Amino acid sequence: MIDREEVIRIAALARLDLSEEEIEKYQRDLTDFLTACAQLKKVDVSQLRATSHAVTIKPRLRQDRVGPSLKQTDVLSGGADVQDGFFRVPRIVEGQG
Amino acid sequence: MKKLAYLLQSKQVSSIELVEKYLAQIEASEKKLNALITVDKKGALQAAREADQRWKKGENRSPWDGIPIVLKDNISTRGMRTTCASKILADYVPLYDASVVTLLRKQGLPILGKANLDEFAMGSSTEYSSFGVTVNPFDGNRVAGGSSGGSAAAVAAGETPWALGTDTGGSIRQPAAFCGVVGLKPTYGRVSRYGVVALAPSLDQVGPLAKTVEDAAILFSILAGTDPKDATSANAQEFNVPNWDDALIKGLKIGIPKEFFGEGLHPEVEEAVRRALQILEEEGALLVPLSLSTNVYAIDTYLTIVTAEASSSLARYDGVRYGQRKEGADSNTMFAKTRGEGFGAEVKRRIMLGTYVLGAGHYEDFYEQAQKVRTLIKDDLQSAWEKADLIITPTTPTTAFKIGEKRNPLEMYLSDLYTAIANLGGIPALSLPCGKDSRSLPIGLQIMANHFQEELMFQAAYFLEKKLLGRA
Amino acid sequence: MSRKYDTVIGLEIHVALLTESKFLCSCSTEFGAPPNSHCCPICLGLPGSLPAINAKAVEYAVIAGSALNCVINPFSKFDRKNYFYPDLPKAYQITQDAYPICGPGYLDYYVQDKLERTKIVRIHLEEEAGKLIHSGESIIDSEYSLVDYNRAGIPLIEIVTAPDITAPEQARLFLEQLRLVMNYIQVSDTKMEEGSLRCDANISLKPKGSPVLGTKVEIKNLNSFRALERALEFEKERQREVLEQGGQIEQESRTWDERAGKTMTMRSKADAPDYRFFPDPNLPPLNLDPVWIENLKKSLPELPLERLHRLKDQDRLSHYEAAFLVNYPDFGDLFEKVKVTFPEPKAIVNLLMGDYARLAREHGHLNPVRLGELLQLLADEVINKNQGKDILEELFKTEEDSPAEIVEKRGWRMLSDAAQLRKVVEGILADNPDLVGRFRNGENKLFGFFIGQVMRATEGKADPEVVNNLLREELEGGRN
Repeated sequence: MIDREEVIRIAALARLDLSEEEIEKYQRDLTDFLTACAQLKKVDVSQLRATSHAVTIKPRLRQDRVGPSLKQTDVLSGGADVQDGFFRVPRIVEGQG
Repeated sequence: MKKLAYLLQSKQVSSIELVEKYLAQIEASEKKLNALITVDKKGALQAAREADQRWKKGENRSPWDGIPIVLKDNISTRGMRTTCASKILADYVPLYDASVVTLLRKQGLPILGKANLDEFAMGSSTEYSSFGVTVNPFDGNRVAGGSSGGSAAAVAAGETPWALGTDTGGSIRQPAAFCGVVGLKPTYGRVSRYGVVALAPSLDQVGPLAKTVEDAAILFSILAGTDPKDATSANAQEFNVPNWDDALIKGLKIGIPKEFFGEGLHPEVEEAVRRALQILEEEGALLVPLSLSTNVYAIDTYLTIVTAEASSSLARYDGVRYGQRKEGADSNTMFAKTRGEGFGAEVKRRIMLGTYVLGAGHYEDFYEQAQKVRTLIKDDLQSAWEKADLIITPTTPTTAFKIGEKRNPLEMYLSDLYTAIANLGGIPALSLPCGKDSRSLPIGLQIMANHFQEELMFQAAYFLEKKLLGRA
Repeated sequence: MSRKYDTVIGLEIHVALLTESKFLCSCSTEFGAPPNSHCCPICLGLPGSLPAINAKAVEYAVIAGSALNCVINPFSKFDRKNYFYPDLPKAYQITQDAYPICGPGYLDYYVQDKLERTKIVRIHLEEEAGKLIHSGESIIDSEYSLVDYNRAGIPLIEIVTAPDITAPEQARLFLEQLRLVMNYIQVSDTKMEEGSLRCDANISLKPKGSPVLGTKVEIKNLNSFRALERALEFEKERQREVLEQGGQIEQESRTWDERAGKTMTMRSKADAPDYRFFPDPNLPPLNLDPVWIENLKKSLPELPLERLHRLKDQDRLSHYEAAFLVNYPDFGDLFEKVKVTFPEPKAIVNLLMGDYARLAREHGHLNPVRLGELLQLLADEVINKNQGKDILEELFKTEEDSPAEIVEKRGWRMLSDAAQLRKVVEGILADNPDLVGRFRNGENKLFGFFIGQVMRATEGKADPEVVNNLLREELEGGRN
């Protein structure tokens, strides 16, 4: 069983505000999942390289040319809190003021 | 589709009439189905008017100019909201078109609307949508499948002649099977992912859903090709609709992996698939029994990779630049509240799992291990191509299940049992309707091929479709 | 303190690359545009957008690595570094973790007259974050912050050194040399005030001679060379005091407060983030052509140290003079150009380091041909030093006339005719009989006065050497 502290730590890392019920639920789900995945750990892969891309693709690099940017008003149009051409966020350092 | 194109060309029907017809069908069936999140009546009619103008002047952009389409709502459309069926993006309006949307617009296809899905394409039933479940057109108590359930149901119900979906572990093929339509997951890299909201970028592909094999092939021919905006898009891999040729079936080696016909497979599904195989054999195809023993790891490997990649891909929804925001005293609190409230239960579950498997002390055991097992699975598939030209399996173990039937997430994940392997291997795979069960629910058959062998796959599918369903 | 402890310093340097467009999208990298006006779906991290690597950024990283004597890895990968911060649009940074583009290398540089070597561990490519403007004095007392994503996505290289630096001053000198190298190879404008060169430092103390490293502390927010040296000095003293009082150094990140002149705790090791690095599935690994890499290496320009040694060995300049030309490459380049028409290195460097330097900083550089002509006039003794200075000032006003033409027009040609000058000298001596008397009685310092009088009488044109000889002849002839 994954312990509760671990679930809280992961939720904090993933910036997910969870309710008490959710913490309990994900504690169970995580445990179930990890139990199910346990068989993977037994597979002998010592001779294998990791696949991080489905097919081998030659990288295509882009020429260094400036293209059009979006208009500032468009850029800001989706922001929940904007001011003077900027996006605004609440205090970054916690627990002060 | 060729018929529609002919009618447009010969001026027997206008694009406006077509679009109006589909809008009427949407009006009639949406209350029951809930296949669409957004219907863009005004935009579609405007695009149709423009298409008709072009036809009038003989300046049509393509034979399909004016034939409308529906897109899964995780494909960015400039100026038309793209929700991913998530609360967090309920009002999000993209500032740009996905590359596939640009291609569709270039061909003159009006966009009727955006189809429902499991939130951020995480699911196999469209039950995990914050816009309500999509109902199977064949049975009002059953799911349409997922995550491209809205796209599949819309095509099946005649709300659109064709649709785009996305497929990360079976999300085009499984709903196609449940709704009795054709669905293709192309070779990884053959269709641009630019503008398609990521679930797991190493597995995601965009593909067509349509009523017939030929329509799916036509739509695929519009989509396939290199896109400089997608670094993982393959070089020079256009696709042209082939001349259909039954003679190709003779001598074709069809691999039958025993692991896909074992425990858990519903007998009626097996029977339908075996019947199709028999038809191929009668035409001179060679049925080659083989083994894809690594498929037993496919689901766990798939889940580990999907959750890991998704946990990172979905980190950007922090309430700063776009999307809904829930205020907090400081930035971290604001992020956590925004995400805690904005995401649904399944999305949060996968983010939690993904964050865990990538975390310090777990990476080697879980994520890297899964990537290595993925190599094993890829190798397994590669050796299969030494014995077979195509592989045929059922698309799903069962036909459409009941809404609310699968409450356990692990049980839900098993819906991808036969389909995830194609995403892990990056190979193309197609689901084709191959009959119905005793409840009159559609059964899907899956054809897989080696990388970039879509054409051969389409030839076999076309042949089967003709024989099975008497379509010409 | 250095009697009891060794100081161990390692640096992590971020250098913004001078590409036209950003690393992973085609937005402009121009500095100082209105906020959020150089943004697109990619650098804003809009859903569905994908990165596309700028070839120039890769090229610049290879050039930088080559200039720092690094192994260039044809195969390298891009990873995601996952963390939440308002300036990070995707909540992950695209960087290189396990397989960086450059492996081990080194940089040689002088600390006073001694050549030192600092090893480079690796160099990797990554994307820059956006810029935060805090509502208050600092991030800590700010109620809110404003975010500008213009900077987000500019290509950076991060250069990581081995912990082989042993003193704060050495760290500064290393960084100065590194900056010079980056300027020479023209991959960055390295403006610390604009953030295109940034440095974090790791510092620890260990008992003198001990092979075991002490606990290191990371210092961030070092925005100038001076800040780097001061922060390290402060931290060295702080750690020494802790150790001498029998305390333990906490592994932590500290920030440098410029105004307070001290480092402060930012984050302890317990809060160290879990970045969950993994290969970015959107970017295939780089597979660079080894021939292309070789060609870039071959086409490297002369580097600062090579230049320094050449100036000392071939041009016979002093270390000080050579260092001046190396550290101010514009002067160094001008030096080379003047040398083409006037091959006297010492004379050129004397001119450049004198009044010229002051005037050039104000007005910009002069045409090297004109400077050669001026030096030639001085060498031929057509003009004297004072006239040389006047001509220089004249040239900074207009370079239309050559120094020779200025001499002609102003009649500034040096007066060397002995007979003519003797008359002037005789006149001045005759006008000042009492002073002549005092000189002859031993008041030697009056010699200068007579020289001054002659120069004044000839409007500064007299050849000082001739005047000197004449005066000695006339005065000392009659000395008691």
